[in-house]
Amino acid sequence: MSLTLDPTLGLPLVYLVDDEDVVRDALAWLLRSRRLLSEGYGGADAFWQQLQTLRSGDTSWPGSPLCLVLDVRMPGTSGLELFERLVEAALLPVLPVIFLTGHGDVPTAVAAVKRGAFDFVEKPFSNNALVDRIEQALAQSAAELTRRREQRSRARRMAELTEREAEVMRLVIEGLPNKRIADALGISVRTVEVHRARVFEKMDVKSAVELANRLRDPTG
Amino acid sequence: MQQRRRRGRLALWSALFLLLLVALTLLVLLTARHEASRVQDQVDALAGDVAAKVRSELLRTQQALQALAAHAAAPQRWQDDALELLRQNVELLRIERRQPDWQLGAAVDSPVAQPLFKVIGRNESDIDGAAACTAARRSAAPAFSRSYFVPLDGGVGLEVIDLCLPMLDGGRDDGYQLATVSLPTLLAAALTPEQTRRHEVSFVEGDGARLARAGAPRGMGVYRADSLVDLPGSTLRLRVDSALGPPGPIPNLTTAAVLGLSVLLFALALLLARDVSRRARAEAALAEALAFRKAMEDSLITGLRARDLDGHIRYVNPAFCAMVGFSADELREARVPPYWPPELADTYQQRQALRQAPGHSTQTASREGFETLFMRKNGERFAVMIYEAPLVDGQGHHTGWMSAVLDVSAQRRIEDLSRQQQERLQASARLATIGEMASLLSHELNQPLAAIASYASGSLNLMDQPDADTPAMLRQAMQRVAEQAERAGRVIKSVHDFVRRREQLRESLGVDLLLEAVLPLVRLQARKSGTEVVTDLPQPAPRVQCDRTMVEQVLLNLARNAIQAMEHSSDPAARVLRIRVRQTHERWVTFYVADAGPGIDRELGARLFTPFFTTRREGMGLGLSLCRTVVEQHGGAMDFDSPVPGTRSGTEFRFTLPAAPAPKRAASASDAPQTLST
Repeated sequence: MSLTLDPTLGLPLVYLVDDEDVVRDALAWLLRSRRLLSEGYGGADAFWQQLQTLRSGDTSWPGSPLCLVLDVRMPGTSGLELFERLVEAALLPVLPVIFLTGHGDVPTAVAAVKRGAFDFVEKPFSNNALVDRIEQALAQSAAELTRRREQRSRARRMAELTEREAEVMRLVIEGLPNKRIADALGISVRTVEVHRARVFEKMDVKSAVELANRLRDPTG
Repeated sequence: MQQRRRRGRLALWSALFLLLLVALTLLVLLTARHEASRVQDQVDALAGDVAAKVRSELLRTQQALQALAAHAAAPQRWQDDALELLRQNVELLRIERRQPDWQLGAAVDSPVAQPLFKVIGRNESDIDGAAACTAARRSAAPAFSRSYFVPLDGGVGLEVIDLCLPMLDGGRDDGYQLATVSLPTLLAAALTPEQTRRHEVSFVEGDGARLARAGAPRGMGVYRADSLVDLPGSTLRLRVDSALGPPGPIPNLTTAAVLGLSVLLFALALLLARDVSRRARAEAALAEALAFRKAMEDSLITGLRARDLDGHIRYVNPAFCAMVGFSADELREARVPPYWPPELADTYQQRQALRQAPGHSTQTASREGFETLFMRKNGERFAVMIYEAPLVDGQGHHTGWMSAVLDVSAQRRIEDLSRQQQERLQASARLATIGEMASLLSHELNQPLAAIASYASGSLNLMDQPDADTPAMLRQAMQRVAEQAERAGRVIKSVHDFVRRREQLRESLGVDLLLEAVLPLVRLQARKSGTEVVTDLPQPAPRVQCDRTMVEQVLLNLARNAIQAMEHSSDPAARVLRIRVRQTHERWVTFYVADAGPGIDRELGARLFTPFFTTRREGMGLGLSLCRTVVEQHGGAMDFDSPVPGTRSGTEFRFTLPAAPAPKRAASASDAPQTLST
């Protein structure tokens, strides 16, 4: 099974944060066998620093779907602490977290899932099943990226509308026929039709229904 | 308060005493006065009587004299008649005839009395008679003279009175007829002997001088009555003086009796009052003592119970009722104490019977107390400590048993709790070690295994879609797999080393010692649910070669499981835990731990020894698997049967341990080569 993602997005990347080199290496090797890029970090702090660097360097970060495979128990900053920081920074939608739990950590992991983690996998894990979950997480991340891009483009289009065009668009969405719009705005039906055509063109839609859908559904 | 009441009572008593005193005094006074007035009345009456009698006597004499006067003309006849008259009337001493010129005509002296005028002559003492005759002549009627004294022979004398009769002869003065009357004789004649016995009667003069007296005693001068005897021409004063003295303080017997009785009565009342008050005091003291004792009994938290020799309850205090939850009446009426748990009632009955057996003297009653199990009304069982002593009545008969009963359930609970806690602590410490070891082991093994799995999965992935890099990558993967497999092997080896180290701790040990070590803990747990623990091991006890701590743990584990299996499901009487040990083989000793619980079904039985399998919420599921591991490390085997062979319920766990050669046998010659060869 192979992951199919929006080609306009960058290459998906999996971050592996685990203090066990052996596990990290083996997992990276496994991901490579599934044609997935990965980056390994031996501790939560090292990863957090890298993340801060990336976010400050590029305002449009992230450009590609991401996923974080995180060990719960680590010396120094624990996986849970790192997770809390990610929740605070509202990074979970673009950076889904999959926890790796050892013996006796299941309740903590369940609690984390309830707080927004994508999933948890108990060690020893079934390898390909883990990779499947990683791919699903990447897909979620990609979807979020696409939605954000759509949102940005819609905002840009809305900004291009003139004041009168915006008024006409509002009335069109309410479902009024052109004649009523003309009466309401005190302009001729012909003028209304011209504005309407301009709105459709700028908003990149073909009908009033499509326009309404686009504006109502934030994910587009 | 007390003092005020006492003072009031004292006032009452003194008032009563005073009243009685006044009444008695009054009684005495009144009686005395009554007596006095009675005597006085008697005396008065007597005086009147005697006066009247004297007077009538004198008048009769006067008449007789008048009759005599009729014969005055014939002197001889007169003389005879006068003599006759004198003889008949002893009070008359002398009768004279006088001429009108006071010349003595004739005189007759009484024949029964002394001649009157012998000491002095008649003419020397006729003044009074002359005066009387003058008065008589004047009034032409008989007249009496004043009384006068006539001395007689021997120094004595006599008071007499003269009666003068004027005589007329045809209207012409014919002289006088003069009679002398003896006053003492007159008085004596007027008195009866009765009267003379008790009174002194006398004629007195105006100044009280006695003229003539009659009567035996002298008058006392207390009861006195005067009476005048009115005579023509003269008056005699008669005085009666009773011989009775003034009334004494106790005038007569009746009063004395009344008085005495009153005093006696008062004394009795006083005694009675003292007795009553003493009795009241004693009663108050008794009531106080009773109240004190009752308060003491009520405030006790120790239950008190008195039973007669048949075991029937005669008395219980409130603490005992509160303890068992039955009322005193319920307890007294019950034939079998309702606080005996039904399953133990027979045992208790036997115990009681044993105590009442003739051989069981009161001296052997335990002063140290014994612990037993009672049941509350709600069915709850609780441990009590009983201290019993024989009840001996005033005559020294043994009438029953008095027991002090202490509810020690709370204490036991705390003890149990602390012991359990301690045990749990030990167990958890042990488990922590085990758990820690398991965790460490799993972690240590997890890493290489996870890595190996990853490489294997990755390799398979690569082989599905091979490319140019594949052989190199596979090679790398295999290399890593080999490394990790070796690492896992090292972990396993270290575990083996640990087990081997424990094996060196094995020792030769008597089975009895093993059981002794675990039984206190087992009994403690058993008591909580009322489980009986029965051990059965041959004598002498076989010896086993084992790691003492580990085997003790196995026994504890199995016993605890057995007790818990019976805790909820079977009836209390059937809760018996049997621990049996048998030398089943020359080289093996078998331990049996059997319960009477519901048993283990086949499906459960199949997974029983699986690690981490448990039916209890708090259990780790390591108990049985660990037990089996321990037993197997010793070279033995562990197994179970459900139901227990030969019965229809329960479960029996068995395990074997290698028998250790007994020290005695080891020393014997026949076994020595064998011991050496092994």
